[in-house]
Amino acid sequence: MATTTDHNSSEGPLARWTQSAIQNPEKVYRALFYVAMAFFLVTTLFPFYWLLVLAVTPSGNLLAGSFLPEINLFGVSTTFPLPVPKGFNPQAFITVFEQVPFHLYMLNSFALAVTTTVIVIVVASLAGYVFGRLRFPGRAFLMLGILAVSYFPPAAFVIPLFQAFAGNAPITLPFTEIPLFTPPRLLNTPGSMVLPFSALFMPLSIFILTTFYGQIPDGLEDAARVEGTTRLGALFRVIMPLSAPGVATAAVLTFIAVYNEYFFSSIMATSTEAARWSPIVGGILSYQTQYTTQFNLMAAASIVGVLPVVILVIVAQERIVSGLTSGALKE
Amino acid sequence: MSTETGRESRRSGVLVDAMRWMENLSDTQYAYLLLVPVFILLGVVALYPLLRTFELSLYASSLDLAGRSFVGIDNYVQLFTGGKNRFLPGGTTFIPSSLSLTALLNSALVVTIIFAVVSVAFETVIGLGQALILDQDFTGRKWVRAAIIIPWAVPIVIQGMIFFLMFNSNVGFATPPLADLGLLAPTNTLNDTASATFIIIVADIWKTSAFMALLILAGLQSIDRGLYDVAKVAGASKWQQFRLITFPLILPTIGVAVLFRSVQAMRVYGIIDTVSSCSVVPSLSCMVVATFNTREGTAAAIAFVTAAIIGAAVMGLILWQGEDAI
Repeated sequence: MATTTDHNSSEGPLARWTQSAIQNPEKVYRALFYVAMAFFLVTTLFPFYWLLVLAVTPSGNLLAGSFLPEINLFGVSTTFPLPVPKGFNPQAFITVFEQVPFHLYMLNSFALAVTTTVIVIVVASLAGYVFGRLRFPGRAFLMLGILAVSYFPPAAFVIPLFQAFAGNAPITLPFTEIPLFTPPRLLNTPGSMVLPFSALFMPLSIFILTTFYGQIPDGLEDAARVEGTTRLGALFRVIMPLSAPGVATAAVLTFIAVYNEYFFSSIMATSTEAARWSPIVGGILSYQTQYTTQFNLMAAASIVGVLPVVILVIVAQERIVSGLTSGALKE
Repeated sequence: MSTETGRESRRSGVLVDAMRWMENLSDTQYAYLLLVPVFILLGVVALYPLLRTFELSLYASSLDLAGRSFVGIDNYVQLFTGGKNRFLPGGTTFIPSSLSLTALLNSALVVTIIFAVVSVAFETVIGLGQALILDQDFTGRKWVRAAIIIPWAVPIVIQGMIFFLMFNSNVGFATPPLADLGLLAPTNTLNDTASATFIIIVADIWKTSAFMALLILAGLQSIDRGLYDVAKVAGASKWQQFRLITFPLILPTIGVAVLFRSVQAMRVYGIIDTVSSCSVVPSLSCMVVATFNTREGTAAAIAFVTAAIIGAAVMGLILWQGEDAI
């Protein structure tokens, strides 16, 4: 511990520290370690501090003067290297909900994320069971196909999907004029977002669940089947509960992915009205377009919008780490 | 047995029949039956749009389906020869018009590749640093790890808002010091192509280094600790341990992570849309979004070129890693 405190004090202790460091290189590594850790902590957390500074600055003071105050350090006038709030007024955290119904946008995001997560978990469980526990011809090929889908950019899907969800013309079989059916108009409804989200984020869950379901001993499934459970019953009553950590991992990652998604969220909700299912993307952007000078509101809305995922990361970090490392490396 | 018959009798006859039919399927039949929902979902939302995008890219841009005309690969040819540039927003070209920095950054193809290469390179180095920190045992490790992961979980729109507010000409405090260093344009920063590209790369590095760190950390933790004990006994310094043990053993992990991240980085759109605009930083996805309502043939061709570049990178990964990649 002494290494870090001694680091930037006067000449004497520094010389002594250098002496002992030469004799003991371990100390240098320790010091380097703490410096690097502090650097990473500051760089990752600083942007949130900046949001807070902006959010509590009263709107009248936003454009006056600099956020980097001039300070007098031992008689020398210098610029303080950290932005500090110009005044203090937490009113912005209430105003964000009054000017734009930000809680409704968040509710939309939650509804979309939960629906997608449920669909993904059910469908990916079936696929995870198949890939994790059954041997059949075509298994490797199918897994490769699902993997390939997850690599394609959303831009490669968006044009036909947008046209289909607009519901103006019947869907035709690709490369022919044979009409199949006319889809209902899905733009500005949850369907137009949940469908692409599910396809986009399903592969990761399939790979996570394949790993977890594959680890359940065959004996447990056999025992359940001898007891008279059906094949599907064994999956949902035995294998899935035993793999609860894996299911939780896939669910948390899917939820965060949907909550964070931008591409389809901004395109499939053609207006930024909360009543037309626009998620937080629309909410935050409407501050940027409608209230161009109310930077404190943009910052406050961003803080409110980021809180759910921050809490999720702190509560479920073990799951996130294991999911990203087991699933994403495979992907 | 009595409970079993009791439960069965409460079910309708059709359901019992369906269950019995399912019980009697072979493993292969059962596997494909369970995969039907995946096939339907991916077929509707991935396979159909992909084929359709390719089809659209072969037709002249017209939203009137009855009057569209087949033009073959003309959309692609015009894209690469500059004939489509007039449909792209701002002064964007698809292929750079010259080799000057301005021309390169105004090219949708090149700016996307520059973004992917530069941001992934920095993310790899920073992610490796973060992973080496998280691999140590120290008190409060859990909290440091949470702090490092949080940017990864921040919604793209909020990530964009953070950097918009940091470099905005009215309240952004970060522009003057960086402009003094010559890194950014002092005025109109977010509408200057080079400055906006720089800021977007920084924003991406801030958000995604953590993801890199977690992938590399998994590689680090799979290293046999005994190797370090041997190295210590042999008198190897920490640096030698890193250079001769750690680095060679995590190199394959880093390779997979780099390719995986590059594929993701090629899709960049949301951060550009929030911080700056698609006419200032013209990524490939940006161009698809900007043109698909009016020029669907052009948009489809750009989308398919994007997919093809990513596809080539993935094929490279699979060939290089073999079966391990799956």
